[in-house]
Formats: sequence, C-alpha cells, structure tokens
Amino acid sequence: MKITLPNFGNMTTIGGKALLFNLGHEVILPPPNTKKTLDLGVRYSPEYCCLPLKILLGNFIEALEKGAEAIAMVGGWGPCRFGYYAEMHRRILIDLGYEFKMISLEKPRGNLMQVLNNVRMLKNKRSLFSVAKAVKIAFAKIEAVEELEKAALKTRPRENKKGDTTKILKKGLLLIDENNSIEEIKKITQKILGEYEKIIAGNENKEVIKIILVGEFYVALEPFVNYHIEEKLGYLGVEVERGISAIPWISSFLKFFQQHQIHDAVEDAAKDYLSRSVGGEGQNTIGHIVLASKKGIDGAIQVIPFTCMPEIVAETISKKVCEDLDFPVLTQIYDEQTGEEGLITRLEAFVDLLKAKKQERRKEYVTISGS
Amino acid sequence: MSGITIGIPQSLLYYEYFPLWRKFFEELGVKVIESGSTTKKILDLGEKAAISEVCLPVKVFYGHVLSLKDKVDYLFIPCMVYVEKTAYFCPKFLGLPDMIKCSLDSLPPIIEPTIDIRKIKTNFKNSFFKVGKMLTNDSQKIYRAFSKAQKKYQSYLNSNVLDKKILSNSGMPAGNKSEKTMNIALLGHSYLVHDPFINLNLISKLKKAKINVLTAEMVSKKEIKHQLKKLYKPIFWALSRKTLGAALYFFEKKIDGIIHLTTFECGEDSLVGEIMHQESKRNPSVAYTEFVFDEHTGEAGIDTRTEAFLDMITRRKRHENNVT
Repeated sequence: MKITLPNFGNMTTIGGKALLFNLGHEVILPPPNTKKTLDLGVRYSPEYCCLPLKILLGNFIEALEKGAEAIAMVGGWGPCRFGYYAEMHRRILIDLGYEFKMISLEKPRGNLMQVLNNVRMLKNKRSLFSVAKAVKIAFAKIEAVEELEKAALKTRPRENKKGDTTKILKKGLLLIDENNSIEEIKKITQKILGEYEKIIAGNENKEVIKIILVGEFYVALEPFVNYHIEEKLGYLGVEVERGISAIPWISSFLKFFQQHQIHDAVEDAAKDYLSRSVGGEGQNTIGHIVLASKKGIDGAIQVIPFTCMPEIVAETISKKVCEDLDFPVLTQIYDEQTGEEGLITRLEAFVDLLKAKKQERRKEYVTISGS
Repeated sequence: MSGITIGIPQSLLYYEYFPLWRKFFEELGVKVIESGSTTKKILDLGEKAAISEVCLPVKVFYGHVLSLKDKVDYLFIPCMVYVEKTAYFCPKFLGLPDMIKCSLDSLPPIIEPTIDIRKIKTNFKNSFFKVGKMLTNDSQKIYRAFSKAQKKYQSYLNSNVLDKKILSNSGMPAGNKSEKTMNIALLGHSYLVHDPFINLNLISKLKKAKINVLTAEMVSKKEIKHQLKKLYKPIFWALSRKTLGAALYFFEKKIDGIIHLTTFECGEDSLVGEIMHQESKRNPSVAYTEFVFDEHTGEAGIDTRTEAFLDMITRRKRHENNVT
C-alpha cells in the first residue's frame, strides 16, 4: 500500500519511514514543510485549531497529491486535542474529496474492531517476527537520530567554523535514513560523533550559556515550525538541552521498552506546582524547568503553539516557578503569523539577559570569596 | 460548625454542578457563599490577574475567586478530571486549582477534591466524603448529605429535560412550520450559555423576540449518548459531548436554527465547532451560525448578527410556505 506519514521532526519521520518500509509498504513522504504546506493547512483547517493540526493537514494534502493511498497517524484519548487529530483530518480530507484510508494507531476504547483493522492493515500480512524486527530497527533509528541531534546541540556553540555541525548532522541523518541494519546505524552514530569532536578541537571546555528547551512536542521538534530555534540559539553561543524526547513517548505507546525512571523524576519535580497531569507535555514542562534550575542551567525557553491547552496551564504556572526559583523562562508562542525577525530579536535579548545575569553572579562570587 | 463559610465561584463548572455542590454543603450545615453573577468588575479583576493566553471563561473565574477570597474561610475549587467513560475535562480544568494557587496571593485555604472516576479513591462519593471529613467527623452525616445532594442534582437534571410531548406540541418536528414561534438552540459550554454577562444577555433577548430557546440541558443523557454513536470516533471531552450530542439531536429534529456559542481560543470548540459546521452542511434545513466571544465582544455586533440570523430564518420559512 502506498502510505504516508506526517513530517513530525526528524526522529519520527526517519523512524516511521523505516518501520513502514520494513513492513513492505511503499512509503510516500510528504515534501519537506514549506510555506505552501502551511498555507494549504491554514486554508482548510478550523480557524482556532493549534498549529500542528494545520501543518499536518498541509502535509497530508501534499502527500495525497503525490499519490499516497493511506495515512499513518497516532491517536489518543485526551485531554489534549492531539488525540482527535487523526479523526479531524479524516473528516476534513473526505470533505475535500480525497479518497484514502486513515490508519490511526490508538488504544481501543469502544472501537476495538477499528483499531484491530488498522493494525492489520499496517502489519501487511507479515509474521510477528518480522514485525518485531521492523519495530526494533525503527526504534534504533529514532535513538540514533536523537543522539546525533542532542550531540549537535552541544557541539554547535563550540564549533570552530560556523555551520559545520549542521552539515555533519545532515550527513548523519541521511546515512541513518539510508541504512537498514542496526549494526550499521550504530557504526554511523559513532563515526558522526567522532566528526563532531574534530570540529570543536581546542574549544571543548569553552564555557557557554545553557538553555533548556521545553514545551509542546511538535513545535519543539519540527525545525520548520519553530524557525530552527535550536540552530539559532547555537549560533548565539548557547548550548541547548532538550526537555522533549520522543523516546519515552513512543516506548510508553509500544510498552516494549519501559524507560520510565527519568520520566517519573520529571513529574515528581513538578508536583509542588502542578500536582496533576494536564495532558500533553504540561506537567513535564514544569518538571523540566524545576530540575533545570537545580542543574546549573541558565534559563528555559518554552515553545508552544497558539491556543495549546496544556501548555497554557504550564505557562501560567511557570510564572510562579520563575519567580520562586529566580530562574528565567521565556515563553515563545507560535502560530501561522509568527515572524522570524521578531523571534530572533527576542532570542537575542533573552540570551543577552542570561549572559548579564551570569556575569553578575560571577562578580558576586569573586567579591565574596575575595573579601 | 455553623461559623464556617465556603465560597463557590459562580463560574465554569458551577453551571454544571451547582445543585450538587450547594446542597452538599448546606446539608453539612456550612454556610455557602456564591460570588454572584459575573460583572464588569469581576471580569476586570480576572483580566489583570490571569495571563493573556487563557480563555475568557478562565479569566472570569479568576475574577470570581478574587471577589470572593476575603469573604470566606474556604474556597471550593474542585478539580474535575474524568466523570464518565472516555470523558475528560479541558486541561485548564485539570490544572485549575494549581493555576489559581500559582497566580493569586493571600488566598484562603482551597478545598480541591479530585474527581476521577477511574480510581475508586477519587470517585464522586469518596472525593466528597474526603471534603466532608474536613468539616465534620460525623461520617453518617456526610453520606446522608451526599446522597441528598445527589438526588437533588438528579432531579435538577431531569427537570430540565424536555418532555417528548412538549417537543411535538411546540412545533419542533415538521408539520407546524407555519407557527410563529421559532425554535432556536443555543449550544455551547454551559458557562457561556447560562452566563448572561459573557453572552451579552442572548437568552433574554431571544426570549423577548418570542423565540423558543432550547439548550443542551433539555436533551436527555440517553439521547445524547445515542446521538454520539453517529461519530466515527467518540469525542473525549465531557462538556463537548453534551454540546455535540445535543447539536446532532437538534439537527435530526430539524429545528429552525442552531447558534453555537464559543469563546476565542477555546480548544475543545475549535474541533467540535468544525464537526458541527460539517454536520450543518449535511442538514441544510437547519440554519447554523457561530458566535465567538472574548473580552472585547461588543453588544451591538452580537445584536446585529442575531437579528440577521433571525431574519434569515423568517425569510426562509416564508419562502418555503410560498412554494408549497
């Protein structure tokens, strides 16, 4: 079956593509996100929907135009709107006159047959063994992509020649995408990590500002949507730490790999301020901010799509956290009107503030220890 | 005991559950103070205290809390999470007590029971029992108070449901189109439909224009459940289920018009509104419109749109009559 996936950050796109390919499907990826994708999505989406729904709709329209016959998505059961996306997309696309199958993977709740049917379609008559193998390869790819991307965040503020890190990362991602064995992927990862080390020679211990990036999953992971915020911060000399990871999310979905320890520590850290999960990444955002303030990170940037329900709760609460812990938090809201220049100005101002704050602290430290 | 006062902000879920809450506390012998209907002052207070991104109803809620906080010993802000199978509340309700505590200072102690029926510990009965324990040690009294409150709530729900007979007499189903009274359904979250300050007196204005106003409360729970089966995937927000189920019911009954009330930035309504819009295209005989409210909504604008909507229906009816 000719099947398509949304552009959902490099991790999920590369991983998802590998999974479907190894199950014997013909994968038709939507073209990379562009202004056209956004325009298509905005035109046909409900006005007050959050940005991810609009861009994913744009992806699907472009992929269906390219000849895809089915769409693979994940669904959920609330309280975040994301759980209903697949159904909303199905309704809108059918209204637009497209013919396709929406294969939404979700926990069954009173629609067991639908879900089983979807799984059967994805499984494509493969044996359980080959399904397990496909899942393993996909997961290995996701892990490798995440490792490379995270390492790039450390490398970029220290690179000797501007742009080298991005070049190497792109090469690495391409290699991971092309290879289909777990050993090869591991080798590539090691090789790329070695190359990173070469381009920062002499700068390894340079002290830089550290910022943790938290917020909504899609906006934080999809560079087109957040205007390459990680890269921009890197060029401003900032080491970005990611508070969002696809791995705990996917593994909780698959229930094969239980890596819940880190996740729980984050939730526990949030408990003082936000005692219950509010869906989406809301509680994690707060937890990461609290943890980061104790880890010697200089500030946090929360990226959210306009009208995001869980993150608005988190934003309200982050004001208090920010005050209590004396920890700067910048909330950046994205919608289809967001301009790149405005974002750059804000980021520069924030980084300047963090630098000034760091220097002041150092001065204080010197005077205290000197007297 | 008699000296204790509990404040209930008259906003958000108050409009869904007030008979239950009020009766429960009254039975326990506690004085209940409500913040009263929304006023401009309350909205102004709320607007200043909340961040700009939250929706209008939550800002109004902030205002109600602020206007109450110095008058009471406790504030009652329950955290409703999950009340029926696959039915959450909006994330803002889930985080409501925490949001209030983080953004407002010098609050009285907050009673914040979590109601999540997936766990026995936090179902309606046990959560309310825990609340009761804070006020009295008499377990029997608490149980009695709760069952009385529940009965009151049930009878409130039943009293709203439209009788089948009234439905057919008032000209709802076909056959009575020439009759002058129009049946218009106002659908949306109950804190919009029943708060005259937010919706700018829409209900009384429609009633003044001799219109039979229908709301989601008038449709029985059973009917709503039945209607929601039409959806390919069940919707997972409790309040939206009510709205959407009622909308599907009114579409099926071919009433004259449906007005969907929503607020700017409402997350649930962004999807539910779209579904209703799509359904309205499939039911062209029912006029459909959507009113979006925010803190800047002007009364004149809403009046004009209401008039235009009513005129359209009248003209359509006349036209239909001419044809036949």
